Amino acid sequence: MEKIVNDFTINIATANGTGSQSANLILLNSLFRMGTHVSGKNLFPSNIAGLPTWYIVRVSDHGYQAPGDETHIQVLMNIDTWADDLDELSPGTVVIYNTDVKAPVERDDLVLYPASMTQMARTLNPKLAKLVSNMIYVGIMAEMLEIPQDIIEDAISKQFGGKEKAIEINSQASILGREHFKNELKKKDPYYVEVRKRDEKQFLIEGNDALALGSIYGGINMLSWYPITPSSSLAESIEAYVPKLRTDKDGKATCAVIQAEDELAAVGMVLGAGWAGARGMTCTSGPGISLMSELIGLSYYSEIPGVIWDVTRVGPSTGLPTRTQQGDISMLYEASHGDTQHIVLIPGNVDECFEFGWKAFDYAEKYQTMVFGFTDLDLGMNQWVSNGFEYPDTPINRGKVLRTKEELAKIKNYGRYRDIDGDGIPYRTLPGSGLEPILSRGTGHDEDGVYSEKADIYRDNMTRLKRKIEGARGDLPQPILREEKELDVGIIYYGSMENTIQEIDDILESTGMKVSQCRVRALPLSLEIDEFVRRHDKVIVLEINRDGQMYGILRKEIATELVPKLYSVAFSDGLPPRAAEYAEAIIGTLESFEVS
Amino acid sequence: MAGKVNKLNLPMDDYRGGKSTLCPGCGHDAISNVIINAAWQNAIEPAGIAKMSGIGCSSKTPAYFLSQSHGFNTAHGRMPSVTTGANMANKDLNFLAVSGDGDTASIGVGQFIHAIRRNLNMLYIIENNGVYGLTKGQYSATAEEGSKKRKGNPNLMKQIDLCAMAINLGCSFVARSFSGSRKQLTALVRAGMSHRGMAIIDVISPCVTFNNNDESYKSFRYVKNNDTELHTLDYIPHFNPIEEVEVPSGGYKDVKLHDGSYIRLETISEEHDVSDRVMALEAIHKADVKEKHVTGLLYFEEGMETLDESENLVDTPLANLPDEMMRPDKKSLDNLLTKFRS
Repeated sequence: MEKIVNDFTINIATANGTGSQSANLILLNSLFRMGTHVSGKNLFPSNIAGLPTWYIVRVSDHGYQAPGDETHIQVLMNIDTWADDLDELSPGTVVIYNTDVKAPVERDDLVLYPASMTQMARTLNPKLAKLVSNMIYVGIMAEMLEIPQDIIEDAISKQFGGKEKAIEINSQASILGREHFKNELKKKDPYYVEVRKRDEKQFLIEGNDALALGSIYGGINMLSWYPITPSSSLAESIEAYVPKLRTDKDGKATCAVIQAEDELAAVGMVLGAGWAGARGMTCTSGPGISLMSELIGLSYYSEIPGVIWDVTRVGPSTGLPTRTQQGDISMLYEASHGDTQHIVLIPGNVDECFEFGWKAFDYAEKYQTMVFGFTDLDLGMNQWVSNGFEYPDTPINRGKVLRTKEELAKIKNYGRYRDIDGDGIPYRTLPGSGLEPILSRGTGHDEDGVYSEKADIYRDNMTRLKRKIEGARGDLPQPILREEKELDVGIIYYGSMENTIQEIDDILESTGMKVSQCRVRALPLSLEIDEFVRRHDKVIVLEINRDGQMYGILRKEIATELVPKLYSVAFSDGLPPRAAEYAEAIIGTLESFEVS
Repeated sequence: MAGKVNKLNLPMDDYRGGKSTLCPGCGHDAISNVIINAAWQNAIEPAGIAKMSGIGCSSKTPAYFLSQSHGFNTAHGRMPSVTTGANMANKDLNFLAVSGDGDTASIGVGQFIHAIRRNLNMLYIIENNGVYGLTKGQYSATAEEGSKKRKGNPNLMKQIDLCAMAINLGCSFVARSFSGSRKQLTALVRAGMSHRGMAIIDVISPCVTFNNNDESYKSFRYVKNNDTELHTLDYIPHFNPIEEVEVPSGGYKDVKLHDGSYIRLETISEEHDVSDRVMALEAIHKADVKEKHVTGLLYFEEGMETLDESENLVDTPLANLPDEMMRPDKKSLDNLLTKFRS
């Protein structure tokens, strides 16, 4: 049998709340420590305990990070999904299953590795048998794939950080699994892991954790938040970092954290903090943005800085709260009633989560407006490879804030909303300063901030606001382009699709299609995107939603003559994107166009 | 008045605002004047005050007082959350908030409740007239059952009593007053400004256009005739030694406020113990049964921890922090990355 090395997908079917997550992370971390390209995805239910959970580990020397379109190694621990999971497997799939579940495996075309995992765990500790049984399958896989035990044990130590008892029992369990495979089973599968040179700079981290650190290094002064999946872990991570990174020598904090009564209040607090001169932020998901929309408009119109991170889940309504989608992008861009337009930062990997995390505050204060960050459950709540975060390379930018009489005196004809510099961005003073006080408002106002309903004043102000945000196009993170010399087909995509695009590209290339890539990293769109479209014959806009929301934005914003070049490929089923499906959809879309 | 200055050598003109655009005779304008007077008499630096409001007739009034103070006329019912954020950004500001009964008892009732729960350090004045004015005279949630406005049917719904709610929520300073009782209201507003923590003053402020007919429980004449005062109130600022203040002939009690000022409660008929929540609720309930309005300082508690205290923030307001206190140094990030890589 020919060996298959570092190119397979493992699917681990368990139930929520059985402690499988730490076992799965130990497996992921062990593979990472061997230097392989590995990614892990947690498909979990909206539930505390009992409902099915799958953890998918992809090992790929190609660097592919999407879950893959097929399972090569299936672990079965959960009676509820047992039969369905079995049915879906292709012939030849390895099945590692817990015989203590007492469910039948009635297929003879699979490679079967049975183990009495609960019983084995019970010999170590009867009370913890259910939790520890998860480490048995890790041990079996370690032996089967040839992952050295010292690597497994390093990963166990890291997972349980100093908790000696937990480290000991989990390590014993992994050895039991290993010995069971060695003594009772015979290797009948082709899968192996081989050591690759590990990049010492790299580590695994969740997007939400990376974002939390970015916010901490961005000078966040106040986090207000209301619990919602999948953004809660971002807020909790910030809260956890404040004592270590944002307190003075007396233990006093430079960042307040408030759990708000709802999202209306969470965003209200962000406006209050921004109005009074501090860096306020909230994080939420789609349903929260819907509620916040009212005050987002107030931020836009009264020009109050603030930051909102949307870790999106599947809508509409409550939707699928623990699944992933890019369904909020058009809502963010024009959130709130009336004419609005907001800056949206769109990281595509964990390193950008850190980077955009701190930059968001600079953009917010520079442009005196609400700045959104857009990620999703896939990027936010799964572990990804980081190449190491770069310490901010520019000083904190507080924007046009006049803090002293001397600074104010330099501004001729000051008015809170007067466009002194011609860039649409006015100057502001802060409460408490005694300088040029105004009553900020969401009602119509003139250049001095005084209430006005006059037609020309309203129109001029709205025109200036448009100019202000449009002015950010070249200043925001610019798209990342990877172009082929053919300039035939280009793909525009964004966000977490970054983790699947290379695999899609390779599948397309295997059919003879060479595609260029353009990853959008901010709204409003960079003018470079117009040029990318102009250079290519056909451009696919690829995204994880039903309606092609970015396609809609592009149609509206790029030069009219370029619009016919655009094709939307958009769909979403709540699962992280699988490369083959999107590649087929791209081919199908281009073919259907050729016929018509 | 010319030439008369306060402790800061400032004339009262420095505390005034723009011209009111409310209906002539509106109770809210009387309250604005009390605010101007109280801030001037308390000698608060105008620049250090932050005027906060929501939406409605009452929420427009920050334009009519303290034009040397920054203010934020926010959105309907959202003033408490915006004030919370501003308080975190700059805990040294004196937050003076004005809201209405629609703003506070309906659309913003959740935020009102949670601002009390957090004991936000602010003075929260409700200008309560029982009707929505700017939308032309619909009943609000504070209109009493059976009360009737100028047009339309009597109100059928039970009222929300904001003072009773605040007391039940553990608010540290709860008072009710009447826009027509200038002396009482001034003493309460001055005391509210001295209080550290959430001070709520629910001021019945008749709407002369939609709800000032005799069948309305919140008309000027009705309140004037049915106002049950708990006590006569006097405010003694910290810069006037209390020993120099004339002692009243009847029974009285001095309550010390956070900044060293006192509020003097002079007994009228029976004594009201402001530290007794049950007694405060009883007073509200008894007045309600008799279709009266009880006014005065209903409940007071000194020393309750405020949100900015429990957040344990650095002494410098967060809005004024130097960059090096905003961004941890590079070494801290390097250390973290080393840990992540281990």
